[in-house]
Amino acid sequence: MQTIYTDLLCIGAGLAGERVAVEAAMAGFRVTCLSIVPPRRSHSSAAQGGMQAALGNAVMGQGDSPDVHFADTVKGSDWGCDQEVARIFADTAPIVMREMAHWGVPWNRVVAGTHTYYKGGKPFEAEEAAEKHGLIHARAFGGTAKWRTCYTADGTGRAVLNTLDTKCLQYGVEIHDRTQAEALIHDGERCMGAIVRCLKTGELKAYIAKATLIATGGYGRIYRATTNAVICDGGGQIIALDTGLVPMGNMEAVQFHPTGTVPTDILVTEGCRGDGGTLLDVNEYRFMPDYEPEKAELASRDVVSRRMIEHIRKGFGVQSPYGEHLWLDIRHLGVKHITTKLREVYDICTNFLGVDPIHQLIPVRPTHHYSMGGVRVDKNGHAYGLKGLFSAGESACWDMHGFNRLGGNSLAETVVAGTYIGKQVAQFLQGYDLDIKSAAIRDAHDKIAERIKNIATSAKGRENCYQLRNEMQDAMMEHVGIFRNEKDLKEGVDKLQALYERSMNIGLQASSKGFTPEMSMALRIPGMLKLALCTAYGALMRTESRGAHTREDYPERNDRDWLNRTLAYWKDGETLPVLKYEEASPYYELPPGDRGYGGGKIITAELPPEKLTVPSKGKDEPAAKPAKSAKKK
Amino acid sequence: MSLQNVTLHVPPKDKLSGRLDVLMMVSGFLLALFVGMHMVFVGSVIISPKLMNALAWFFEELYLVQIGGPVILLVMVGHFILGARKMPFRQKEYVAFRAHSKMMHHTDTTLWLVQVATAIIILVMASIHIYTMLDTLPITAAKSAARIQHGNWMPFYIVLLAAAAIHIVIGLYRIGVKFAVVTRENRPKARKFMVYLLVAAAVISFLTHIRLSLLTI
Amino acid sequence: MSRRLHIEIFRYNPLDPDSVPHMQSFYVNEYDSMTLFIALNIIREEQDPSVQFDFCCRAGICGSCGMVINGRPGLACHTQTRDLPEHIVLHPLPVFKLIGDLSVDTGTWFRAVGKKIEAWVHSDDTAFDVRAEEARMENALAEQIFELDRCVECGCCIAACGTARMREDFLGAATINRVARFYIDPRDERSDDDYYDVIGNDQGVFGCMGLLGCEDVCPKKIPLQDQLGIMRRMLALNSVKGILPKGILDKMKHKGCCHEKH
Ligand SMILES: Cc1cc2nc3c(=O)[nH]c(=O)nc-3n(C[C@H](O)[C@H](O)[C@H](O)COP(=O)(O)OP(=O)(O)OC[C@H]3O[C@@H](n4cnc5c(N)ncnc54)[C@H](O)[C@@H]3O)c2cc1C
Ligand code: HEM
Ligand code: HEM
Ligand code: SF4
Ligand code: F3S
Ligand code: FES
Repeated sequence: MQTIYTDLLCIGAGLAGERVAVEAAMAGFRVTCLSIVPPRRSHSSAAQGGMQAALGNAVMGQGDSPDVHFADTVKGSDWGCDQEVARIFADTAPIVMREMAHWGVPWNRVVAGTHTYYKGGKPFEAEEAAEKHGLIHARAFGGTAKWRTCYTADGTGRAVLNTLDTKCLQYGVEIHDRTQAEALIHDGERCMGAIVRCLKTGELKAYIAKATLIATGGYGRIYRATTNAVICDGGGQIIALDTGLVPMGNMEAVQFHPTGTVPTDILVTEGCRGDGGTLLDVNEYRFMPDYEPEKAELASRDVVSRRMIEHIRKGFGVQSPYGEHLWLDIRHLGVKHITTKLREVYDICTNFLGVDPIHQLIPVRPTHHYSMGGVRVDKNGHAYGLKGLFSAGESACWDMHGFNRLGGNSLAETVVAGTYIGKQVAQFLQGYDLDIKSAAIRDAHDKIAERIKNIATSAKGRENCYQLRNEMQDAMMEHVGIFRNEKDLKEGVDKLQALYERSMNIGLQASSKGFTPEMSMALRIPGMLKLALCTAYGALMRTESRGAHTREDYPERNDRDWLNRTLAYWKDGETLPVLKYEEASPYYELPPGDRGYGGGKIITAELPPEKLTVPSKGKDEPAAKPAKSAKKK
Repeated sequence: MSLQNVTLHVPPKDKLSGRLDVLMMVSGFLLALFVGMHMVFVGSVIISPKLMNALAWFFEELYLVQIGGPVILLVMVGHFILGARKMPFRQKEYVAFRAHSKMMHHTDTTLWLVQVATAIIILVMASIHIYTMLDTLPITAAKSAARIQHGNWMPFYIVLLAAAAIHIVIGLYRIGVKFAVVTRENRPKARKFMVYLLVAAAVISFLTHIRLSLLTI
Repeated sequence: MSRRLHIEIFRYNPLDPDSVPHMQSFYVNEYDSMTLFIALNIIREEQDPSVQFDFCCRAGICGSCGMVINGRPGLACHTQTRDLPEHIVLHPLPVFKLIGDLSVDTGTWFRAVGKKIEAWVHSDDTAFDVRAEEARMENALAEQIFELDRCVECGCCIAACGTARMREDFLGAATINRVARFYIDPRDERSDDDYYDVIGNDQGVFGCMGLLGCEDVCPKKIPLQDQLGIMRRMLALNSVKGILPKGILDKMKHKGCCHEKH
């Protein structure tokens, strides 16, 4: 077995992985990134809309500040987030956006003068200030008090990822693409790297590292209808969960995006609504203001998605061979806007739907989109349970999103967390010496090698991995969707458990030498079922409605009993996770209250006063930190 | 630069590639210009053999032909050497390109092969032609007509003209593309224009030949 | 009326000593708004799980699924079967190293050329000041830069280029476009001479023969033709600097092009 040594092993080379990698490389460490696909193909590249940061340059962003951003984020999370982390995030975001600008991201800029913008389908005029001319512009996104989302047309993810990738090249970050981490190497206390399968040859290799970062993005493929890429299979979460030591946080918190297209489930960005697009029903009637007079289409995603389903259930959905849907209308934005600022949307509509959004309505429905949950880490990005293991980006539960993340906050999280956690990783690496235990490496390797052998020879049976995947996805769609209840969830958990047991007996249908794609799927399925079970079981046990987690049988948000975070552990040999709970936030800078949209009752909690005060922050506020590191090297 | 050739000296900053590229374009363009004028010159016979004779006399008196002819030949050979850098002489390259153009069914790609083929035709035939011309100075309409009517030069000229016209038209279009004169926006127009140019060349030449064939010597 | 598609796929597994390159036929029932992504997955999941191909975003934004579709390089997920004849022939992209069947290694290729052209904004990272406002930029220029940065490195333009197929060391249109992206970016402090060192040779701009296969296949409609032209003109003029009078050079350089540094 080939063994590769490095200081930092980044599993995942999306925005989060590459941002951490750059930070460590700039600090002088050897960094190796793994990725299933070449880095620029990571799913971050698909993000269209933009990144939130309170720069306040746009006229509609006037008066914005990290405080407002922080408040929006906490409300968006339905008070499920870690407020200390949300604070770090909101304070650091503007600096990171500027740094990205310095590195080469072509952010759209403020153009001084009077412009016509749209809000709720109606045009209005606003004057961009002359003294802001040429600074980073922002657009509106859901659940925000100000226009705060920095963007490059509708290719923000692409633009930022390209830029970060150039920095990786510049600072000599090693990229090993077409590799897939299959297991973490650890001795029960410390993580020492990973066993990795090469997707060109099918060989296993050991990567030994002082620090290991999981930045593998979401795990949307446990659902059938998802906006996620086909590689978003939760590989990173799975290897962490497999250790039995590292918990997943808030796996039941799953976001559905209001505007997945029908039938392909490809996303059209929230920027459509941010820029003034509206949602229409079968009668081409704009219904959102009836439900949400204040925010209308721009309430947070969980709320809009629920309202859409509610409206469809009332019989206002549009029938189609692919099920019922609603319409997104951006026609009034005009040719120029659609073909420049929403060009990707235009391409998707014309190429995949055969719809011309300049003249026609776009068929949309809520579609699985984002995983708030993931590898639970502390505010420094250090995973619970294993020393030397970090996580950042969508794969992590750093937890600034709580039970619903705001549009534009996750893309921002990847680079902000990447910067912040990157510094922590660099600090950790400073003077850290790893004594490598070859027994641990052998153990990890042998386990995977044996699984591969069993699957290749059908030693344990000939279950078809694609069939299992399909059944899992159907079960998730049917039982763990937007609206949940005990009966559905119970059934779902039962089904998934049965599937999990069957997944122990997967065998290859077609044998092949070297690399075979079927083996990749076969290796993933048991882990994906574990993640699905964490999601379904967590949802079953959480008897309240918070953010995206909506229980029809427990419609109120219950701060008294559930102002906490689910931690799911997986013990070897079990078919269900062990759930533990921890307090949602160390303190509540913004005390739990009403979000201002979405309605719903709240069962309030009595919080002791010390929980409602922010411990004095001292001099090294997070906001000041990025400066030094950028100057390092 | 490779590690094999960097060992002996510190590489000078050299601009050779760019200059050769410019030279290639300039030589091609000059040749195109020459052939264009030459067509007009020979074509003057359409209006009247006397005009052609007068022009020929004028050029020869000034020794333009005697000097210009060999110069043109030189430019042509130079242009050929420059062009040859790009031509698929090695079998592997040729096979690769053929396979590629077959796969793509893409006009501009196929046209390049045509350009290479016509280049070789021109090189051989134009050399012969120029040699013959310079060998039989002075140029007169009568001599030209004789060659067409009795010397069986007609087929030769038809092939040469076709090759030259096609090569030049493609060549000019490509110069335009290479130096951003033909852009995404005006490319369809440019292509149309090139077809017109080709047709015009054919028409002029056709008339020239008819005139020369009918000319009583 | 739905058709039965005959999909012929190039098969070869370089890791299997018994494997020889051959074409294999599959048959799939077509349905509404079917893309090659769907068709190929049906083949893999229901007929032959060993077929190798790459998809990722399945929405035409990541560039994973470049392959030769009936002779033309293109993105498979982006291709609707209804736009194709009943008989569909699929090959892997040429030029890149074959991994197996329809899958090729574009990642290594693009990283190698990226290194060659030093594909990053050359500026002083240590000069970044956290407290300072970002440097201003015209929105129009930002849009221009992004227009070139939209390339997804699918490799179609490389595979469609006759020059790239003849000469292994040709950098290709995507790479030259990438240099153009840095060239117009005022944050990149490189001079014309620096750019000349990078692509002013027969592996770079002067190797391009204007075949325009790249322009005609690029699925993202990156303005490759124009960028190739602008870069070539810039560098060609740069090479004869000192031979022609400067006034003429400047005039020619700026003609019909809005790409000077601002
Ligand atoms: C269609 C779409 C649009 C979006 N738009 C927005 C938006 O406008 N604004 C916003 O804020 N957010 C948006 N998001 C969310 C946001 O894009 C993602 O949350 C974010 O990009 C995740 O980045 P990441 O770096 O964590 O992971 P990713 O970019 O997904 O990267 C994961 C990396 O991990 C690698 N990997 C995975 N598994 C393994 C393994 N086992 N071994 C080795 N490597 C592995 C992958 O190859 C990849 O390189 C959008 C998401 C989608 C799906
Ligand atoms: C009177 C004769 C000729 C004229 C007018 C002529 C004209 C041209 C022109 C205008 C071009 C385009 C230049 C460029 O792309 O930079 C060209 C290209 C070319 N010419 Fe000629 N040419 C002539 C003869 C020849 C001969 C004799 C050869 C070689 C045998 C030749 C080989 C080529 C080749 C290979 C190219 C293509 C180069 C490339 O695409 O990069 N030409 N020619
Ligand atoms: C200096 C060199 C040249 C001289 C003096 C010259 C002269 C002439 C003359 C006098 C004729 C009339 C026919 C004849 O007398 O046989 C002629 C015809 C022709 N020449 Fe040339 N020529 C020269 C170079 C070239 C070159 C370089 C080309 C092509 C690339 C060329 C292509 C032709 C063709 C195609 C014709 C046929 C007339 C027609 O179809 O219009 N000549 N030339
Ligand atoms: S330029 Fe176009 S064809 Fe070439 S790699 Fe980029 S997106 Fe693909
Ligand atoms: S196809 Fe190739 S030769 Fe030039 S114009 Fe495009 S790079
Ligand atoms: S799969 Fe991403 S472009 Fe086709």
